[in-house]
Amino acid sequence: MTPLLELRGLTRSYGSLTAVDGVDLTIPRGERHALIGPNGAGKSTLFATVAGTLRASGGSVLLSGQDITSLPEADRARRGMVRTYQHSSLFLDCSVLDNVALAVQRVHRVAHRFDRAARRFRHTEAEARRHLDSAGLSGRTGDKVSALSHGERRQLEVAMVLATEPSLVMFDEPTAGMSAAETERFVALMERLPEDLTVLIVEHDLDVVFRLADRVTVLHLGRVLASGPPAAIRTDEAVQRAYLGSARTEDLFAEAEAGIEAEAEAEAGTEAEAGTEAGTGGPR
Amino acid sequence: MATHLVSVLNGLAMGSLLFAIALGLSLVFGMMDVLNLAHGAVYLVGAYVAVALVTDGAGVAAFVLAVLAAAVAGALLGGLLAALTRATTHHLDQALLTLGVGLVVAEVLTLAFGTDVHSISAPAPVGGGVTVLGETYPVYRLLVIGFGVVLAVAVYVLVERSPLGSVIRATVADRAMVAALGVNTGRVLVGVFAAGAALAAVGGVLAGPILGAQPGLDEKVLLLALVVVVIGGLGSVRGALLGAVVIGQVQALGTALLPEYASFLVFAAMALVLLVRPAGLLPARTGVHA
Amino acid sequence: MRAETEKEKEQEKEQEQEKDTVTVHGGTPAPPDPAPVVEAPDSAATAGADRPHRRRAAVVVAVVALLTAAPLVLSPYPVSAMTRMLAFAVLVIGVDLLTGVTGLPSLGQAAYFGVGAYTAVLVGVHITPDAMVQALAGLVMGLVAAAVTGWVAVRARGIVFLMLTLAIGESVHQVADTWSAVGGSNGLAGMPPVTLFGGPALLAAGFVYWWVLVVAALVFAAVALVVRSPYGRTLRGIRDNEARMRALGYRPALARYGVFCLAGAVAGVGGALWAQQARFFSPGDMGFEVAALALLSVVIGGAGSLWGPCLGAALVLFVRDNLSASIGGHGPLVLGAVFVAVVFLMPRGLAGLTGGRLRELAGARRRKENSS
Repeated sequence: MTPLLELRGLTRSYGSLTAVDGVDLTIPRGERHALIGPNGAGKSTLFATVAGTLRASGGSVLLSGQDITSLPEADRARRGMVRTYQHSSLFLDCSVLDNVALAVQRVHRVAHRFDRAARRFRHTEAEARRHLDSAGLSGRTGDKVSALSHGERRQLEVAMVLATEPSLVMFDEPTAGMSAAETERFVALMERLPEDLTVLIVEHDLDVVFRLADRVTVLHLGRVLASGPPAAIRTDEAVQRAYLGSARTEDLFAEAEAGIEAEAEAEAGTEAEAGTEAGTGGPR
Repeated sequence: MATHLVSVLNGLAMGSLLFAIALGLSLVFGMMDVLNLAHGAVYLVGAYVAVALVTDGAGVAAFVLAVLAAAVAGALLGGLLAALTRATTHHLDQALLTLGVGLVVAEVLTLAFGTDVHSISAPAPVGGGVTVLGETYPVYRLLVIGFGVVLAVAVYVLVERSPLGSVIRATVADRAMVAALGVNTGRVLVGVFAAGAALAAVGGVLAGPILGAQPGLDEKVLLLALVVVVIGGLGSVRGALLGAVVIGQVQALGTALLPEYASFLVFAAMALVLLVRPAGLLPARTGVHA
Repeated sequence: MRAETEKEKEQEKEQEQEKDTVTVHGGTPAPPDPAPVVEAPDSAATAGADRPHRRRAAVVVAVVALLTAAPLVLSPYPVSAMTRMLAFAVLVIGVDLLTGVTGLPSLGQAAYFGVGAYTAVLVGVHITPDAMVQALAGLVMGLVAAAVTGWVAVRARGIVFLMLTLAIGESVHQVADTWSAVGGSNGLAGMPPVTLFGGPALLAAGFVYWWVLVVAALVFAAVALVVRSPYGRTLRGIRDNEARMRALGYRPALARYGVFCLAGAVAGVGGALWAQQARFFSPGDMGFEVAALALLSVVIGGAGSLWGPCLGAALVLFVRDNLSASIGGHGPLVLGAVFVAVVFLMPRGLAGLTGGRLRELAGARRRKENSS
């Protein structure tokens, strides 16, 4: 059976710096796959290259066996590959319902219809409300997104992404900045995701990673250091050396937590660069 | 052939003026994302300064005086615009502010000078013509071309070779970074705004003997300057020069060959460039603002 | 007329809903509970949900009745002025569709306004005096002109879009100014009075006014429908977060091009109506100033709302055509000052052009009214 996502020698370089260096990765349908790695491992670059936000310098990305390397982000989304952002990316001046309905109406192919009021497209509206229900936001459909809390925005983003009826969802550090309670609720939401949905998640919180993932890939200096089930990764010596230079598992967690802030900063830079490259940095 | 030469020379003269006018527009946009819609009005101030100071048969002294007065008036107006636009951070607000100032300035000029079409004579010593390849050509326009060349070189040296220039270029590329390095970008921005406006006003004086002065000229000049900036690439000095030369030629050839469609040709040139090079011909080195 | 009333009611309803949350807008993390000060009028509104709507409906009916009755009581001159305001309001609705709904500030719509007007005059002089045919021709040509030139502009956003639309508008304006086929700078005159359904010529100012009123109301209703349709939602999504739209699988450039063409068609109708009233059109009626005043109307009226900019259009045209006569014909001076004043006096309002701050301001004002 063809894997849902396959990366073949995927490479992305900035000038002389190669941030992602010949990454091979195969993710079968329905798998929960986590991508981890120490600071500067190239996780965010790999993520953006797979999502189509950045263009690959070499290698290829295959979705259900089809080469999508040269497709822009929008076309990848149409083929069922959607992503979330590190900082929730929503439509702040629109209602909660509008946010999800934007996803549904694209799937229902009515996004450019203007012959009737939006709420008269009952099928689309009902579908949007159903997604909000399952994300636990049914009470807030009429509110503006700018009135939601951080955790609620995350939930809304999941609802929006699921409303595109994806085959692959890519989460970019979904629990960053969440309180413990919010993280707990988010993990529960992730565990309720449909069985056949394939998930690729970049995450700092290794607790979350080991709870959710079927398989974990560790990235180091732009290359795949190890890939396997969580239990094997926990005990992998190469991984521990890469993270800490020591072989003590407890330190792995402590160190990773402490590293979050530094890395978030480092990656904000990468992201700004990504935005420029993709031409999204228009003047506001 | 000779008539074509005349038209090419006309195009170069126009290109020189357009470069002087468009430079400020381009740098102000590149450095602070401010679209100065009063730029045409600033130009018109210069043109009317010439109307007031350069009477028929006036000598070089009166003309030089007009240039200086226009430069001062333009710099003051530019400083005012810079101060106004710095009061708000929203780019559309800033454009609307300059639009309002432009309307007021143009209307005040109409109040003062009426709606008549004024022509301005070139200073007497250079008011005649010389023979170029068998055609008589006004000396004054040749001098304007010379001015354009000198200006281009001066600006090149200033922007590409001087420390101030490197601040300007860096600000175009990444304003926040320059500010973070401790450079007082505010003063540089106001300075560039004032200098750009002064150049536009001087352009108004220099263009006087060619285009005259009348209400509505501000819009035409603003349009040409905008097209020059778009064609050349926002925030780019070399782009402004190339754009000015191209539009000068298109304008002159259009006027000579297809007078009715001259303005259409200008738009067509812009559309063509945008089709092939969406960021302009010579965009500033980092296209962050494009 | 009835349909329009309902439209407006719907809009009010939406605005009521928006009002619920406007206070916490502005980027700061939302407090769990809105401030009690804000909640008071809101809970009052939900308690008597019917009352404000009924009151609004009454206002709308009254306004429509007044507008309809105007020619019966007013002399021909003010009726003609009101006709021009209505035609200009149609142009402004198109600008609002771009600027307020989609977040694309435009200074180029006067070009399509002019195209529609010239089309109507040419059709009137050479083909038929039928007002409907002329308006339809204006619509189609405005659409075509926007489709031909729009692709240049819609690739840009924000202030660059403003710059490109200005360049397009001025180019078209200057083509009209020099092209002899449309009379050059003298403009086109000699348009016969319009007729309707093959009837006699509409010579009285009042009849022309009613015709223009009906078309303007239809355009208003049509645009209101677009705003509330899935496409309107798509446009708001583009305004708020274009990168997100792409990540959801949208092709925003296509939607932007579509709305640009739509706004061009609306402007074309406005131009045709303008020409039918004046029976004359010259390049001066489609210049930079007209484009600027259309944008000013949107800004004054409140971007994104539809009735606000219409009110702004009437106000702006009143200042230019009536007030300026009493101050020596220098209306632009006043309007220029208004531009500057608007930016400084309603800075939060203006910021709403790409966000929703204008509506926030309007909401604040409404709250003030409610509490007083």
